Amino acid sequence: MVSRVLVPMDDSEAAEAALRFALSTFPTAAVTVLHVVGGATSYMGEATSLAVADDVDAAAAERADPVFATARAIAGDDRELTTTVGLGSPAKAIITNAEGFDLIVIGSHSNTIASRLLLGNVAETVARDAPIPVTIVR
Amino acid sequence: MLVSRGSDLGLIIEAVETTRADRGGDDETADPLTVSDSSLSVAVSQRQAASGSPKIRRVNLPESKGGDVIEGLLLIGVLVAMFVGYNIGGSTTGPAFGPAVGAGTISKTVAAALMSICFFIGAWTIGRRVVDTLGRELVTNPNIFTLPASITVLFFIGLALFVGNVFGVPASTSMTAVGAIAGLGLASNALDWAVMGEIVTWWLVAPVIGFWLSAVIGRYFYAGLNKRVALVQSEGPLVTIDRSGLLPVVSFGPGTTKREMIGTTIVVSIGCIMAFSSGTSNVANAIAPLVGSGSLEMNTGIIIACVAVGIGAFTIARRTLDTLGNDITALPLTAAIVVATVSAILVISLSAIGIPASFVVIATMSIIGLGWGRATRTMRASRKSISDQAGDARVTVGSLAADTEGEELPDIGEEDPEDIPAAADLFNPSTTARVILMQNVVPLISTVGAYLVFRFVPVFGF
Repeated sequence: MVSRVLVPMDDSEAAEAALRFALSTFPTAAVTVLHVVGGATSYMGEATSLAVADDVDAAAAERADPVFATARAIAGDDRELTTTVGLGSPAKAIITNAEGFDLIVIGSHSNTIASRLLLGNVAETVARDAPIPVTIVR
Repeated sequence: MLVSRGSDLGLIIEAVETTRADRGGDDETADPLTVSDSSLSVAVSQRQAASGSPKIRRVNLPESKGGDVIEGLLLIGVLVAMFVGYNIGGSTTGPAFGPAVGAGTISKTVAAALMSICFFIGAWTIGRRVVDTLGRELVTNPNIFTLPASITVLFFIGLALFVGNVFGVPASTSMTAVGAIAGLGLASNALDWAVMGEIVTWWLVAPVIGFWLSAVIGRYFYAGLNKRVALVQSEGPLVTIDRSGLLPVVSFGPGTTKREMIGTTIVVSIGCIMAFSSGTSNVANAIAPLVGSGSLEMNTGIIIACVAVGIGAFTIARRTLDTLGNDITALPLTAAIVVATVSAILVISLSAIGIPASFVVIATMSIIGLGWGRATRTMRASRKSISDQAGDARVTVGSLAADTEGEELPDIGEEDPEDIPAAADLFNPSTTARVILMQNVVPLISTVGAYLVFRFVPVFGF
């Protein structure tokens, strides 16, 4: 039985679809939304603006806020979400955070060509390397 | 006959009419309207000499069909070069003056004006050395820069700018330009491998220098710099100008502190240095093929490129300054200043020795170095031995902190290690390799594409 679900999200529509799928398919499960910040960008500016901050944790949390706000809006008031912030390579961070969960539900791809080129297909990497079952939502 | 679209249309038509009038009943002379351009100019000048007629003011008349093609091609070449310049102006103003405009220090119009002026100074003084390298030294025989070949090379450079803007994958215009010209040189057996080797060597060395310089700054000096740079903008104008006296007196505006004034000056100056560095290295990308082939004179070319850059700075740059989507402008101000300074100095140094610099790669490695250096700052908190070794650096930063007003600065290694959970995770070698690889894709495509086009498309005849 699936009781703890990890939903890694970026700001893409596929990620929102993944969260909706997880919430409706596992109505009783505890859902955790993971957002990874500071991944590769064209000049690596994201990573460095986090790294130079005096309080990296706070900076990362601030960066992740909009995605969590979207997730909470999708979940509505009657469903509680736990949120976690990851740092660096999305695929790596997702796999590291997978421990303790029964299932990963992830969107198939992100919005921009640049991020796909820079990060690779995160869903594919997670599906290949994760220690737990993975559901990819289109 | 075809009508030329040159700006001196009136003169040309006048000259054509003169030629016709001159011809009179002289049936033996070849009709100048049917001969090729090169022989035409000779024919006309001979006729002029023979008849002693001073009426024809222009010798190189674009009135025959062949002449029109050449004129038209040159016009296309200049337009494509201007398109490249226009895009350089649009894409460089953002990284250079984004921080200053974002902080409300200068308006976009002032930014565009500074961009145009500093770019021109860089192009005029140092930029011509890079034009020489690209246009005359990289290939052993500059004659391969026929107008169609030059236009094709410029097309590849324009493509790189286009891909960078549309797909958000930045590509170095200099690397793309060198790649396209190298492709042309390979196809026509005229590539100077010694020059090419020197350029590529610097492409490897300069980013490494940028990385280590920034890493040292990030690790040992960033905290101190950050405190010093802190720009707190006050209300009201930065300066007031009192024109009541004989001479206008400039004084600080209400609420402007001395420190703010210094900070503002630094941010604007750094924008100017970046614009200058862009001029030194980028002017060649717009005009090198046309200057190398002799179609354009060096100074004319530089002025044409700078006008195009200015147009870009005053038009599309407004949008790029607005969106601030650029990774460099998204950096915190202190980080942007460090990266801009390190990259600009490296680019100017390379340009000074005639090497087209890859700003995109240098800036990226500088950003990574700064972030990585800063992210690893706590290692010394947990590793006592290294901490002791770095005692000298600690003294330096400590003395900086003593000069600074405001908050006490924690000594290096004494910031709370809990603050930096896994920041080093942000920079792993495979991520870095992937980013740098991405930036080399477009230059690589341009090299291979140019080679294939010049080698196998019969128009070019290599």
